[in-house]
Amino acid sequence: MARRSFSVTDLPGFSTVAMMVFAALYAPMVVLVVYSFNQGQSPATWEGFSLDWYRVAWANDEVKNATVNSLIIATCAAILSTVLATFAALGTTRRKAFKGQTFIYAMINQPLMVPEIVTAVALLIVTAAIKKFTGYAGLGYLIVAHAAFCIPFAYLPIRARLEGMDLTLETAAADLYASPWQTFRRVTLPLLAPAIFAGAMLAFVTSLDDVVITEFIKSPGQDTLPTYMLGQLRRAMKPDVNAISTALLALTLVLLSLFYLLTRKKD
Amino acid sequence: MKRTLTLVAMLMAGTAAHADGELHLYNWGNYTSPDLVKKFEEKYKVKVTITDFDSNNTALAKVEAGGSGFDLVVPSAGFVKIFAEKGLIQELDLSKLPNHKNIDPAWMNVEWDPGRKWSVPWQWGSTGVSVNTKDYSGDINTSAIFMDPPPELVGKLNVVPEMGDVLALATMYEGGKICDDDPAVMKKVRDALIAAKPKWMAMDYSTVEKMTKHDYSATVDWNGSTLRQRLAVPEIHYGYPKEGYPLWMDNVVLLKDAPNAENAYLFMDYIMEPENAAMLSAFARYANGIAGSEPFMPDDMKGAPELYPPAEFKDKGHFLTVCTGKALEYQTAIWTELQK
Repeated sequence: MARRSFSVTDLPGFSTVAMMVFAALYAPMVVLVVYSFNQGQSPATWEGFSLDWYRVAWANDEVKNATVNSLIIATCAAILSTVLATFAALGTTRRKAFKGQTFIYAMINQPLMVPEIVTAVALLIVTAAIKKFTGYAGLGYLIVAHAAFCIPFAYLPIRARLEGMDLTLETAAADLYASPWQTFRRVTLPLLAPAIFAGAMLAFVTSLDDVVITEFIKSPGQDTLPTYMLGQLRRAMKPDVNAISTALLALTLVLLSLFYLLTRKKD
Repeated sequence: MKRTLTLVAMLMAGTAAHADGELHLYNWGNYTSPDLVKKFEEKYKVKVTITDFDSNNTALAKVEAGGSGFDLVVPSAGFVKIFAEKGLIQELDLSKLPNHKNIDPAWMNVEWDPGRKWSVPWQWGSTGVSVNTKDYSGDINTSAIFMDPPPELVGKLNVVPEMGDVLALATMYEGGKICDDDPAVMKKVRDALIAAKPKWMAMDYSTVEKMTKHDYSATVDWNGSTLRQRLAVPEIHYGYPKEGYPLWMDNVVLLKDAPNAENAYLFMDYIMEPENAAMLSAFARYANGIAGSEPFMPDDMKGAPELYPPAEFKDKGHFLTVCTGKALEYQTAIWTELQK
């Protein structure tokens, strides 16, 4: 019997195109990772296996400082944005549809739409004014800015989970005389927890990878790993940059795997 | 209030180190000798932070927005003027810089800062040609190496894909000047480049690797890059094109709103001490513009012909500027055609 439904996989050349897309996506990263274990000076000619560049990178004070900055900012921004995103998700789903709901969604997801350079320039002007006025030049600016653009990444998985959760459980809890707070604390939150962790991890990774906004609003001594790497561009690139990239990639992969484990359906 | 905020800032930045003072340097990445910074920190009990930028434009944009918090910035030659014109930097109080007299006379009356009242030298270099003399034994101090290559080099030649440098060399070779906007000259430049291109093997940045592996016999190159090649392969030599070659120089300037101006003066004076200037060079592998620093240079850089141009070619170097208007239009058009 002939198959009725259209399947994209039946199109001629589908697998060839798919393989080419995967190669274009992953081959450069494989090369980067392989060359981080290169013995020689060049980031592109193989001269034998070694871990030297990881040692070089780790012995570099600027790299250490940038790593600490990256982790502090990503942790704080992930926590802050996830808390806000959770409230936003509860506020936009656990109620009747209301006028302007789509508008609110668009507002929350603004960082996904607005070009990053526009946000960066705007933040540069605003933070410069605040810095001059208050004299405060700590990591706070970067944390708040990162939290802002991390919110949609935390918000989307949490909202998706809330929309998929059965409202009858909360109704039942209320029927059994649970107070609204008890219902939230004992029913909604435990069910929501995996999505909250998943959102936090996405937010963490997003913050960790940011270059443009960070470059524009960082104060003295606040290079993060990506801005440190950007700064290397004018000088001869050495495999220590590959080593740092590989470490970043590994951390991202671990977190994304956790995200996957937390969000996949149990059944 | 301000102090509380600073304290919070320090805690948040994770810097527990106590220091009598601070100094915030805003520089190109991987360009500041960590050993020199440590030495300076120990001597003056000043905590130095180094923050990276990736282009003169980024640095300018951040400083111009205000409240950047930096004390010293290291822009390239032409940008010193822009920083000064925009009122972002302050004129130096030379009485606080006793080592100012150590500036090499050649770098004292530079076109962007006559008398060095606004900026002190960091590092400088040039663009020329790198040739493996095993393959070609003729005159290498000419742009003819890539503009009209000798038969020995045809097909074994690389040109770095850097528009500003390559067009500066080519224009001066054809009798023009950097950022020339004379259509007759630029037409000659275009024709010569298009005619030369089939004789090139590649337009590629990885010159150190491919020259030392002998994939190329010659290339347009930066002097610091040729220095590294020669240390690996002694037959590789750096040529200063006698028709004219581009120069670049990065300079330290003091921001008008520098929070730690006194420490900034200490640092500027410190790097003009020949011994310390040599430390900067040992790390960045370029020359420094401070007279008397040579004896303190690492052995493989002492008297390096790549760092110290021979007297006859000294006045052939011209500073690279950012071209504008018609000159830029011609350059872009030629470059686009060349890249096809």
